Amino acid sequence: MQIDARRYGLWDLVKLPLQAGPGAAILTGLNSLLSGIVPTLHVVVTASFIDTAIAVLQGSAERSEIYSRLFAVVALIAYSWVSGSAAKLARTKLGLALQEHYHTAITEKRARLHYRHIEDPESWDLISRVTSRPEGQLSDGYNLLLSMAALIFRVLGVLGILISQVWWAAVVIILLSVPLFALAVKSGKASYEASKETEKYRRKSSYLSSILTSRETVDERSLFGYGDPINEMWHERYETARKIEHRVRRKWFIRTKIGSLITAFLSVLIVVVLLNPVLAGDLSIGLFMSLVVATFSLVQMMSWGLGSYVDQLAKFREYLKDLTKFAMLEESDSAQMLPADPAPEFQSLDFKNVSFKYPGMEKYVLRNLSLRMEAGKHYAFVGVNGSGKTTITKLIAGLYDNYSGEILLNGKNLREWDPAELKAMLSIVNQDFAKYYITVRDNIALGDVNHIESDSDWRVNRAIDQVGLAAAVEKLPQGIHTPLGKIKADGQDVSGGEWQRIAMARAIANPAPLRILDEPTAALDPVSESELYQEFERISRGKTTIFISHRLGSTKLADEIFVIDEGRVLEQGTHQELMALNGEYARMYESQRSWYN
Amino acid sequence: MKARPKTQPKTRISLTAIVWRIFKMVIKACPIYFTATCLIGVIHGLSWGLNTYATQFFFDAVATAVTSQTELTMVYLGLLALGGVTVGSQVLNGVHNFMAGALYGLVPGHLVKHIHHKAARIEPICYESPDLLDDINKAEKGAGSSLGLLIVVVVLLTFYLPYFVFMGWYLYRLKPILLLSLVFIFIPVFITQLIRGAVHARLEDESAPLRREVDYYERCICDREYFKETRLLGAYRFFRDLYLTALKAMQQKKWNVELKTNLMEIGMRMLTLAGYFGVLYLLFTALMNGEISIGSFAAVFGSIELMFGIMEEIVANHIGGMTRDLATVRNFIRFLDLPERSGDTERVSFDGGIKFTDVSFAYPGSETKALDHVNLTIRPGETIAIVGQNGAGKSTLVKLLTGLYLPTEGTVEIGGVDSRRISPESIYKGITGVFQKYQRYKLTLQENVQISDLQAQDENHLDAAVAKADLELDQETFPQGYETMLSREFDGVDLSGGQWQRVALARGFYRVHDLIVLDEPTAAIDPLEETRIYHKFAELSKEKTAIIVTHRLGSAKIADRIVVMDQGRIVAVGTHEQLMQEQGKYAEMYQAQAQWYAG
Ligand SMILES: Nc1ncnc2c1ncn2[C@@H]1O[C@H](COP(=O)(O)OP(=O)(O)OP(=O)(O)O)[C@@H](O)[C@H]1O
Ligand SMILES: Nc1ncnc2c1ncn2[C@@H]1O[C@H](COP(=O)(O)OP(=O)(O)OP(=O)(O)O)[C@@H](O)[C@H]1O
Ligand SMILES: [Mg+2]
Ligand SMILES: [Mg+2]
Repeated sequence: MQIDARRYGLWDLVKLPLQAGPGAAILTGLNSLLSGIVPTLHVVVTASFIDTAIAVLQGSAERSEIYSRLFAVVALIAYSWVSGSAAKLARTKLGLALQEHYHTAITEKRARLHYRHIEDPESWDLISRVTSRPEGQLSDGYNLLLSMAALIFRVLGVLGILISQVWWAAVVIILLSVPLFALAVKSGKASYEASKETEKYRRKSSYLSSILTSRETVDERSLFGYGDPINEMWHERYETARKIEHRVRRKWFIRTKIGSLITAFLSVLIVVVLLNPVLAGDLSIGLFMSLVVATFSLVQMMSWGLGSYVDQLAKFREYLKDLTKFAMLEESDSAQMLPADPAPEFQSLDFKNVSFKYPGMEKYVLRNLSLRMEAGKHYAFVGVNGSGKTTITKLIAGLYDNYSGEILLNGKNLREWDPAELKAMLSIVNQDFAKYYITVRDNIALGDVNHIESDSDWRVNRAIDQVGLAAAVEKLPQGIHTPLGKIKADGQDVSGGEWQRIAMARAIANPAPLRILDEPTAALDPVSESELYQEFERISRGKTTIFISHRLGSTKLADEIFVIDEGRVLEQGTHQELMALNGEYARMYESQRSWYN
Repeated sequence: MKARPKTQPKTRISLTAIVWRIFKMVIKACPIYFTATCLIGVIHGLSWGLNTYATQFFFDAVATAVTSQTELTMVYLGLLALGGVTVGSQVLNGVHNFMAGALYGLVPGHLVKHIHHKAARIEPICYESPDLLDDINKAEKGAGSSLGLLIVVVVLLTFYLPYFVFMGWYLYRLKPILLLSLVFIFIPVFITQLIRGAVHARLEDESAPLRREVDYYERCICDREYFKETRLLGAYRFFRDLYLTALKAMQQKKWNVELKTNLMEIGMRMLTLAGYFGVLYLLFTALMNGEISIGSFAAVFGSIELMFGIMEEIVANHIGGMTRDLATVRNFIRFLDLPERSGDTERVSFDGGIKFTDVSFAYPGSETKALDHVNLTIRPGETIAIVGQNGAGKSTLVKLLTGLYLPTEGTVEIGGVDSRRISPESIYKGITGVFQKYQRYKLTLQENVQISDLQAQDENHLDAAVAKADLELDQETFPQGYETMLSREFDGVDLSGGQWQRVALARGFYRVHDLIVLDEPTAAIDPLEETRIYHKFAELSKEKTAIIVTHRLGSAKIADRIVVMDQGRIVAVGTHEQLMQEQGKYAEMYQAQAQWYAG
């Protein structure tokens, strides 16, 4: 199953479940429809049973005639009982099928989204609305449609019997249900609007809740003791959202209940009308009794059922609208692609007057930035915090394309590159690198996904050696097959510097010709750092590297250094040239060197 | 002090105990609303019984009217009663459902608050065992189901129980043997639900680790934290496969359980059905033998059907859900019962310094000791630098030093008192710090800083802390000044790595303290700024005890003493000059780093 960029309508509430689990969906459907017909049969059968019983007693019928009626009554009840259980099973199966196919499809769509949407608050709202419990949304929607169909059948059945007795009563019911219906639609819309409004508060409060319970925050939470005040803050947000919903619900209840009072009066009216024929003997007592019971239970169904069904239907409509918007969100073609294999060759990278600001932000992070990098050389970016170094790497990776100016890779516009080729072109160690809670081996082998399955253990081991991680890995209970993090029951965590080296090893295992290392030694100890610098030549032989670091000792490795300041290149040249220039770079370098005299 | 709660025995708490606990919590949360809802529920239930009665009254009237062609007034009276009761019960129904629904919004807020409260009080080390993480996950689910459980119990007791007692009495009076029908209804239902409850509890325990995996792999694919990297690596398929494998395993478990319980349920329902059939037959023969009248036959026939319908409703809507929920609610209670760290409340004065005596520490589930027989004394007012290779145990030492973790062996004395003996709050009172894994809260700048000391809401203090961390509040980066939300997700801005670290520093400085611990506080900060911060810090910490973990050995010089760690042990302590003379680990590290700045 796949989420296509198209309009989603009510019909999809049926289509998607049928696609995900046809057997289960058909079974639930069938069962629901039958459950709409059974009550009508029930009226007829019960009536005939009572009438026959009375007739037998009065001697106007054979005693044996009763057995078939009794059997019919029992059979009907047996059916509705057993089918209930079976339907529950089918529904569970359908839920599982939807989770497997639909939820996965939604996740896939999310994975394909353009990176821009990931950092944009508005689309994030939409995404979180659509993706929370998506399988539940669909199966609830499907069941709702079925229940509505069943209700309609049921009403039609009772109406049918009514029509055969007093036709105009049926007409009155139909006429009266039109405004009831409109009322229900209106309140349904209102409650969806409310849930949209509360979404923001809910998201905020669920974020606070995660601060209060997650493993990541436990150290600060305990030391700073902010548990109780933040808890109060959480509860406040929670209450705000709840109160908004509460108000809407109150309105909804009043409307719905007015509807059901009208229906209640209506059914009394019907009974009054039926009284004459029964007293006159035109209508059997049995049929009269079952009709009365059926009409009154219809009141329940119509008032509650109809009201809440229509209300929910409006909600699902809105959900489908959201789904449509979500499906229409722009994707980036590269998302699910594996990197090209073998990797293309790197020749040069040019920034020409590139200006950039993050979508939705005022501030220009890069301003007319121009620079050129060539194959086989090592480059270093230095600069104060917030000068835009990390942002440059994001642009190179093609995560954003809303920049002005030109970025040319091998002389070709970056926007025109085949995504798979681009992916294969570079490997990045991000400043906020990902810590995957999977085994050490997989963490590193992920660098070369094209060969992750093949026997790449030697490559993993080589990378581990190169970043000096061998001793630490040996200490782990299952060596490189130890799961990291606390997701698996036997998972282990490692120290900050060790995580960073795992990220480094991942980049080293990557065959891409252009390597970007954003603060790769921030958490490394002095010896490992120094070793890494010494090994650097060997590790990066034949590659082009961009090294972003605040440790200026490392810049000596670079053939060319760019000093970035406020999104521009302030100085550029070799270490010697920049020192001679006696500018910003020299100042930074001296300030750091002063510690080592 | 107690042992680590890692292998908490999964005790079975009885249903009554659970209900009682929740009842107390709910009553405390909203006493009037809850009682009112229950009362209206009872009246609503009564109106339902009244409805049956009115229906029978009406039918009897109609039946007699048809056979004897008289007494039309009774018929209209009956109809009036029936109409009145229907309208009344509709109103009650609306009010009751509305109030119950409101409770479903109100109560979980209070219950989850208990969870948060608790989570702040269990020991930090507990978070290192995956079991506990499951428990939190399940507890939150349980808090949601708790009210449902309570309401079902209340409804069963206040509505269904009286109803069935009444029906039992009614049937017994009519014909004693009809009472059997009740037995036929109840026994199978009870057996089914007992088994179902047990099976679901097991499923809950077994599927929690899988659910954790499924959720996590999904995050690896599309959570913000991982999105960029997973995409650039092309690792999507890898994680999707992991995700699907875990998902299928989880689904398989669930399906097996559902299949088993539902098949069993069908079997048991057959038994009930046989009972129903028997009752109908008995009724019919009684009618034939003239033991009961046509009127009461029709009435009983109707009400038995209703009774079976109600039973069905109880099972399907209430007990079924309840047994499913019971497992998660039990988890909720179990979580609230986890041992907390306690101890005497005392004013800890750092005049006593900090003393480690033969301290060892191992993380749960790990055989190697992260700290191995460590002895260390820190004098008040001293500035200490801790250096050492990655994984040497520096961060671990810091966690013991702040009292976050307790030693597995040996004692840590903070201000002269054993950290095991005093309450954590007393220890934390004068301590602040910046951890290596500092947090980036999706809150405003002001909240991000003040979160370290929410009691001391003080503007001047805030300015001072921000200034100490050299965080410039320029209009471009922080458009709303202190009120700037630091999260794109909540309509705010994002910061660069170094800017975030300065926010963390400001947070550390904001808290009123005697002891400050900084674990790699400048890893992401640019050189000029770093130099400035260290000089400033040396200035600031003159009267305070300060501990800095650092890989920048040059900056360690500002310390009075430097502690060198290696593989969980302290290998040397001394001033920079002393250590350089010793030509040991420190000198080696120092040289390794300094060579890059030579010439
Ligand atoms: N996702 C984002 N959305 C909005 N603004 C951002 C985002 N990421 C960074 N910024 C802003 O862009 C500017 C440049 O950030 P960038 O991360 O490129 O800096 P940097 O040079 O890498 O700094 P550091 O040395 O601290 O890592 C910063 O002022 C930051 O506030
Ligand atoms: N949460 C944890 N669970 C299990 N083992 C851990 C955990 N955290 C750290 N370890 C292990 O304990 C040892 C000490 O870790 P610690 O974080 O104290 O090192 P560190 O000296 O701070 O290193 P770094 O310089 O890299 O930050 C390491 O071998 C590490 O792998
Ligand atoms: Mg950066
Ligand atoms: Mg550390």
